[in-house]
Amino acid sequence: MQTVTLSLKEKNAVPIEADSVNTDNFASKPKDEIGAILVWYGNAQVAVDDLFDVVVDGFGSVDEMKIIINGDVSRVKRIGQGMSAGEIEINSNVDMHCGSNMTGGKITINGDADSWVGCEMKGGEIVVNGNGGYYVGGGYRGEACGMKGGKITVTGNVRDYLGEHMCGGEIVVKGNAGLLPGISNNGGSIIIEGNTTMPASEMMKGTIIIKGTVLDFLPSFTEDGTEDVDGVTYRKFAGDINAGGKGVLLIK
Amino acid sequence: MSELLIKNAVVCDPINNINCVKMDISIKDGKIVESVSSGAKVIDAGGKLTMAGGVDGHTHCAGKINVGRFMSPHDMRMTNVPGLSGKEAPTATTRAQVGYNTPNAFAIGYRYAKLGYTTIGEAAIPIIGARHTHEEFEAIPILDKFGLTLFGSNWQVMEYIRDDEPEKLAAYVAWGLKASRGYGIKIVNPGGGEAWGWGKNVSGLDDPVPNFDVTPAQIITALAETNEKLNLPHSIHLHCNNLGKPGNYETTIASMKLLENLKTSRDRQAMHVTHVQFNAYAGTSWRDFESGAPQVANYVNSADHLTFDLGQVIFGPAMTMTADGPVEYANSRMLHAKWSNMDVELEDASGVVPITYSPKMFVNAVQWAIGLELALLVDDPWKVMFTTDSPNGGSFVNYPEAYTYLMSAKRRTEVIEGLPEMALGRMNLPGIDRELDLYELAIMTRAMQSKIYSMDTKGHLGVGADADIAIYDLKPDSIDTTVEYAAVKKAFSSTAYTIKGGEVVVKDGEIAMTPEGRTYWVNAKVPQANTDAMQVDLAQKFKRYYTVNQANYMVEDAYLPHPVEITTEAL
Repeated sequence: MQTVTLSLKEKNAVPIEADSVNTDNFASKPKDEIGAILVWYGNAQVAVDDLFDVVVDGFGSVDEMKIIINGDVSRVKRIGQGMSAGEIEINSNVDMHCGSNMTGGKITINGDADSWVGCEMKGGEIVVNGNGGYYVGGGYRGEACGMKGGKITVTGNVRDYLGEHMCGGEIVVKGNAGLLPGISNNGGSIIIEGNTTMPASEMMKGTIIIKGTVLDFLPSFTEDGTEDVDGVTYRKFAGDINAGGKGVLLIK
Repeated sequence: MSELLIKNAVVCDPINNINCVKMDISIKDGKIVESVSSGAKVIDAGGKLTMAGGVDGHTHCAGKINVGRFMSPHDMRMTNVPGLSGKEAPTATTRAQVGYNTPNAFAIGYRYAKLGYTTIGEAAIPIIGARHTHEEFEAIPILDKFGLTLFGSNWQVMEYIRDDEPEKLAAYVAWGLKASRGYGIKIVNPGGGEAWGWGKNVSGLDDPVPNFDVTPAQIITALAETNEKLNLPHSIHLHCNNLGKPGNYETTIASMKLLENLKTSRDRQAMHVTHVQFNAYAGTSWRDFESGAPQVANYVNSADHLTFDLGQVIFGPAMTMTADGPVEYANSRMLHAKWSNMDVELEDASGVVPITYSPKMFVNAVQWAIGLELALLVDDPWKVMFTTDSPNGGSFVNYPEAYTYLMSAKRRTEVIEGLPEMALGRMNLPGIDRELDLYELAIMTRAMQSKIYSMDTKGHLGVGADADIAIYDLKPDSIDTTVEYAAVKKAFSSTAYTIKGGEVVVKDGEIAMTPEGRTYWVNAKVPQANTDAMQVDLAQKFKRYYTVNQANYMVEDAYLPHPVEITTEAL
């Protein structure tokens, strides 16, 4: 087991892009090597230990790797991007693209996550103990697929375009979701326990379950009886028929 | 005065009947000369394959490609062809590069140069969009450029054909070439672009264009006659009706037959038919779809008035872009894909739709085969221009891959083994054993272009030619191109040297310098009285219909800081 604790020395005004801060990159490295890993600080590259206090405890492969991030990293982007295993715990709000493209492992965010958390995620798990921003589990502009696998859980609310262009995986939002969750969905499942507006537009495949109130329900769905999930009976809708979709939308 | 001597080059120069012969090439002030002084800088080619700089006579590099860029922001990070796609940081000599199918303008210049190409032709300039096209041309480094101007669904053109006013038609085309600083006449789905303004298409050569009472056949014939009257360096450049539809090979052959007896003003073809792969489909629907390449190739073999290019398909993501508006609508519906549609006022239509050609899809597999069949079944390579209609059939950075299909039956067999069984019965490629040699490849990629565009300083290495030269890291006397296709692909993907206008622009696959390229355009002279008469009609068009006035419409000289004006006299 290897635990690396990064503590931000000083809240940054210039954005930091920390796509190199991930378990794969840190695993099996001693303190000085981890500290020397470069991150983007504005338009310049600086070493991790210029910005963070680094404490390394133990030594291990990526599977046994845990990174703990302390301090206010609400302007640090791309933490955990592309990671394949291990664990990251962030005790703060975090900036955009946290866990994007990850294929395995777990990221726990004890705070709010800014937009694009888990975008293009392919595996692993992200837990946001707070609120999510826009495009949770979304896609890159122009690509056909956003999230393809793995699971994102948000205990608070999320903003618009939850799971945009999602092709697989699972998203659970305990609170409310903003406009157009599941837009252009092409697979996977989304559960929204709170309220939302205009869900599942242009949905082709996949399942969306909404336990709260739906505002501005789109007319382009056909009602298709009911379905029981975990002992709860939902009204079942199929669509979006405007797009020739065969998605399933379950509304309480 | 700069002098350069290339020693020990194994030269493949079909225009001058030189088939891989070791020789020296002398260059002075950007031109190839008989000899240079002893003080000349020397490059030792060491027996490597040396050809004239490649000429891509039909590519989408400026103008509509921008719509493709808007629609595919993810294209910038595609790395399908290592070294020739994706993001590359700027260096001391190069600017930042991104993209694959729709790379940025700098990347287009650098990557063509790395493939040994030094001249490219934009396949379609709408006159009203020509200013922008030339702005993009200027941003593409290294390469010389030219563009073909769209006339095939133009109101003024169709009215003059209907009213039988050939002199005014010639005056309008000459003016349109000048207004767009274009090089030749492009015709896209003649009449179809106008019909698309009404949500319709024309169904074939004899289907009248709505409200104009002219047929596509009349448009093709009249513009071809005008082309010869104006004595233009290129022939008409025709994208046939019914593109992309099963059974369209009949329309294609019928279009070709229209000009069998046209008397040309120059020693070149009467017509160039473009991206014929998309127009050589047999069958009656996508269910019984099959290759129509043998029928088209048979006709081309029997005719001597035309040339064509392939529009070869490359498996993987591509971006279709054409002035053929109804085709792009059909594409977007069939593929459930993003669709851009643009009305080009009085001149044409336009659309852009992304596509992915999959070797597992029966239709795509047959399309892939049709392009190769056309190249291999037409006996005379001087009739065949190699293209992928980049990026419609695939990005130009795949050219080296496609060369291996043409040069190696073994390589083709490898690909064919991965295709669906159903596709194999609909194609003829598995039975074709022809393998092109380097000489034939040189014809299809540079030499024939010199002839079809009447560019006597391009596409060859004779004295007087521009010193645009590609030296590939491949020794013709010690390679079997039919077997060692991996080495062929590698060599053609990154030149040992690319020389443009006498300057080394690529060395060992790296950009060495980035001079500005030039833009060729044709100033066709017609009697002033005809122009004056035509202008009276044209003024009405601007007054009544155009959203811009004429003074804001013409491409001005300032848009072409590096022009090469070719003047022709009407016959």
